[in-house]
Amino acid sequence: MLKVENVTKYYGDFKAVDDLSFTVKEGEIFGLLGVNGAGKTTTFRMIIGLLDKTSGKITLDEEPIDYSKTDYIGFLTEERSLLTKLTVKEQVIYYGILKGMDEKTILERLDYWLKRFRIESYKDKKIKELSKGNQQKIQFITSIINEPKLLILDEPFSGLDPINVEQFMEVIKELKKKGTSIIFSSHRMEHVELFCEKLVILVHGKSVLQGSLKEIKKSYRKKNIHIKADLDAEKISKTKGVLSVDKTAEDYIVKIESDEYIENVFKEIKNCKNVTEFRVEDPTLNEIFLDKVGVLYEN
Amino acid sequence: MKTKLKFLIKQSLSKKMKTKWFKVANIIIAIFIIGLANVDRIITLFGGDFEEKREVYVLDDTGSYEVFETLLSKIAESLGESKNFDIKQSQEDLDTLQKDLSEDNDAIIVKMNFDNNEYIKASIVSYDPIDTITYQIISSTLNQVKSSVILATSGLSEQEISSLTSPVNIEKKVTNESAENAESKDMISSGLILIFIVPFFFLITMLTQMIGAEINDEKSTRGMEIIISNVSPKIHFLSKIYSSTLFVVIQGGLLLLYSVAAYLIRGIISASGAMAINGDVAKQVTDLLNLVKESGVLDLLLSGLPIMLILFITSFLLYAILAGVLASMTTSIEDYQQLQTPLMIILLVGYYIAIMASQFDGAIFIKIISYVPLLSFLVAPVIFMLGQITLLELGISTIICVGFCILFFHYGLRIYKVGILNYSSSKLWKKIFKSMKQKD
Repeated sequence: MLKVENVTKYYGDFKAVDDLSFTVKEGEIFGLLGVNGAGKTTTFRMIIGLLDKTSGKITLDEEPIDYSKTDYIGFLTEERSLLTKLTVKEQVIYYGILKGMDEKTILERLDYWLKRFRIESYKDKKIKELSKGNQQKIQFITSIINEPKLLILDEPFSGLDPINVEQFMEVIKELKKKGTSIIFSSHRMEHVELFCEKLVILVHGKSVLQGSLKEIKKSYRKKNIHIKADLDAEKISKTKGVLSVDKTAEDYIVKIESDEYIENVFKEIKNCKNVTEFRVEDPTLNEIFLDKVGVLYEN
Repeated sequence: MKTKLKFLIKQSLSKKMKTKWFKVANIIIAIFIIGLANVDRIITLFGGDFEEKREVYVLDDTGSYEVFETLLSKIAESLGESKNFDIKQSQEDLDTLQKDLSEDNDAIIVKMNFDNNEYIKASIVSYDPIDTITYQIISSTLNQVKSSVILATSGLSEQEISSLTSPVNIEKKVTNESAENAESKDMISSGLILIFIVPFFFLITMLTQMIGAEINDEKSTRGMEIIISNVSPKIHFLSKIYSSTLFVVIQGGLLLLYSVAAYLIRGIISASGAMAINGDVAKQVTDLLNLVKESGVLDLLLSGLPIMLILFITSFLLYAILAGVLASMTTSIEDYQQLQTPLMIILLVGYYIAIMASQFDGAIFIKIISYVPLLSFLVAPVIFMLGQITLLELGISTIICVGFCILFFHYGLRIYKVGILNYSSSKLWKKIFKSMKQKD
């Protein structure tokens, strides 16, 4: 279990991470969210030991993380961290051996993963010859080649098309089933929402929202009502408790301040014609994120 | 961690040596060394105008033609194959001979006339200006002819003339037994300076550039983050130092091998037959070894070799440490090349001081420099072989270098730890000075 306790990091006078605490249990997927410069990468770097924390404590299975532990950790950096002059095989062997593995095991696992990602033919190609997406796949393989206990993924879906995102998510879910603790960051809230169980949202290094996704959504007072009907949007928007009415290609989305205003909207809808749907939903993570972080969020 | 260190060294070394450019560079270096050692043989092998005999017509009214012919032939012969003359006495007058001179006829006309006051007056006529060496040969011959004419007209007997012209028999005796072979030692030591210094200068340049390029490559691709998340900066730093030092030691060995090959090929080119090849090479090697042995330089070299080797390797390590630290501070290879310049200047200083050591025997300044790390490996072995410092002093120089190596590594590692994961040049010096104060 990864435990981050009251961790603070200063760069000179600048506070990059402010009293951050969270835990990631075995077989749990944890999301670290925030806008650019919120302190996500700094947090990852402190976990892996690349940066010294100013204060606080980080432990893996109750022990501090040092070089005796890093063999059991997988790390995927936000930017490409591949040695582009090497071939795929050389690269994976290089990082695998640094994880304390033997060459035979590395090659066996490499063959499996290359097949799984359908890039077997690139085994002897130089990294620099690969596309951005394929480089990301190789980077992902290097981070999981040691079957880590803790997997840190900094923007893992960067540069991937939807099919490959799906593939990555499948693998991440498999690793979770095997008991790997996964902590990751992403700008794409829909990805986070799909398989993230717990999360923390950082703003200027400080946690502004934390907990399980379900609880967060449940406790979030604002709701969305999806309506398919011939309605007067302007009239609905003036109803008490309604924040906005948005028309999409399929329906209207009425955002309300809290549960207690559902009845008000329902009363208005009863007078409309062709009502085929009235569905109350929790807001998306993206909405919660935007609400908490504000307009600074860049998709 | 030892396994990871070994792997990183192996990886770094194979990355340098398994490239086609390493092979190409070594083929070029080998060709260059072999070519340089045999340049005169190569020139002769291809031939040219220098092989043709140049006609020299002599108009003589002094009766010294035979003497002139003998002396000119002897002097030309002593200069090897580059100067050949076909000497003929002419009965024709100067004007007739002069008319025949043209672009196709580059003969030289030497006219010798008897003069009551100066014994001989001479004039040299040619179509084009004659080269300096040819002029020197002819003028030297004429001077000697003049001496012989003077002696012949002096009334001295043949035995007296012979005694007069023969060189003085000098018996050299030096009372200081240890300095008995000082002259040949000086000569050989001066030669050895170049053999010692030039390859080390080349190897150190190679070492510093290699470390800089490798570290910057890992930094720029951000591969450094993955590496440092798995091995400590200390292990990573050590792997760079060891692998680069090992590489230059191997490259140094290859340079030695190419030099031996060049020497053997020189013997083969100069010999005419198989038997002569073996005989010539063996003779040359024996002559050289005897000369080195007799001069006492060999004994000095052998007695100091173990210490010198430690000094060389420690200096390689010292340069590798400095280059590694500088590379860690930079964010691109261009920045590193600029930062590396002072290191190259230090190397140049050592190079020139070592060369000057043979000219300034016993210079205190040079002795002091021989203790200064980064310079000592070029200066101390040279002045040791010149007999200017003792084995003990060479040892002290080595100990100082080892000490600095440990010290530089200790403080350099602090900078390296901060530098390798630093991608910005802003407040760089502040970060470096701060890192120096941080304890491990």
